[in-house]
Amino acid sequence: MKPVDLAKKLRRDAAFEPAVLDRGKAALMAAIQQEALPTRRPIIIPQLPYADIRAALSFLERAFGFREIPSSRMQAADGVIHHALVEFGDGVIGIGTQGAHGAVSPQSGGIESQYISVAVADVQAHYQRALAAGARIAKEPRPGGHAYEALDSEGHRWRFVHERLREVPTR
Amino acid sequence: MSSPPDGEVIGRSLGEPEAFGLIYDRHAPTLLRFLGRRVGARVAEGLVGELFRIAFERRETFDASRTNALPWLYGIGSNVLLKHRRAEARRLRASARMLAAGPAVDRRASAAALDARVLFPRVADAIETLPDPEREALLLFAWEELPYEAVAEALELPIGTVRSRLNRARARLRELIEPKGKGRNRRR
Repeated sequence: MKPVDLAKKLRRDAAFEPAVLDRGKAALMAAIQQEALPTRRPIIIPQLPYADIRAALSFLERAFGFREIPSSRMQAADGVIHHALVEFGDGVIGIGTQGAHGAVSPQSGGIESQYISVAVADVQAHYQRALAAGARIAKEPRPGGHAYEALDSEGHRWRFVHERLREVPTR
Repeated sequence: MSSPPDGEVIGRSLGEPEAFGLIYDRHAPTLLRFLGRRVGARVAEGLVGELFRIAFERRETFDASRTNALPWLYGIGSNVLLKHRRAEARRLRASARMLAAGPAVDRRASAAALDARVLFPRVADAIETLPDPEREALLLFAWEELPYEAVAEALELPIGTVRSRLNRARARLRELIEPKGKGRNRRR
């Protein structure tokens, strides 16, 4: 017998269930869709820790208008969200798990070690929206003023300023 | 309804990524069987996913004038398999054991059965010890029954190189299976 024929004899087919092909297709199409999404590469993404990410995402949307980027959500099989990204204009912020990367939520840490300022087109309208959603106001806007500060669901401090005041010199 | 050749579909998938799903529909069953033969059904399921994800990411490099993407996909599959040499070796040995054990046979056939018991594990070992490029060429040719041109395309080699690798693989197998100066060779 020729060596190739002997090798041929060792060929053995593995039986697989038809569902394997369907699972493979579903996984591939999910990967393709992910790939097809428009992407951006922000140079800096602030990452904020929360004890309850689900509650934080809901609050940030209702009060401040930060929208979750749906495909960014990292969720475990048990439904616990570990991380997500929210966007506002061209800004992106990471909403992460408290304790991960050494970051602590002000709710348990007891201090705010930083605040983030966000440019908005209409400070008064934004303030009314935050107020209606139950945000704690840390610094009221002055009459006719162009800035206010609010605390979110876990005490992170946000400063909202009129977009005109957000200009950064180029040099 | 005429269906567009693979090259055209892959070309279209550059601007319209979902079109790549058709390449999966056309070739996934063949490649799943290919991977299954080499590493078994359980490992193959994961590998077929890896294979198509790599293919999708590299679709720009596919020569759109080719009508059939199968040899190219075999090539990606061969690379994916390299990382799973242990599973492959296990399966090959199991196949050899199964063949060698064979069903009980009558007396006349028992000599052949004895031969097989010795021979198949030896062939399996021989295939396993072939250098990767030779083993790959041999199995694409003998198990997948790809013609030389397709093996060459899959391994991105000139056809002459495929021929010489196959010849080397054959010679090595012959050597390993029939050590010089043993039994059946003496008569020659």
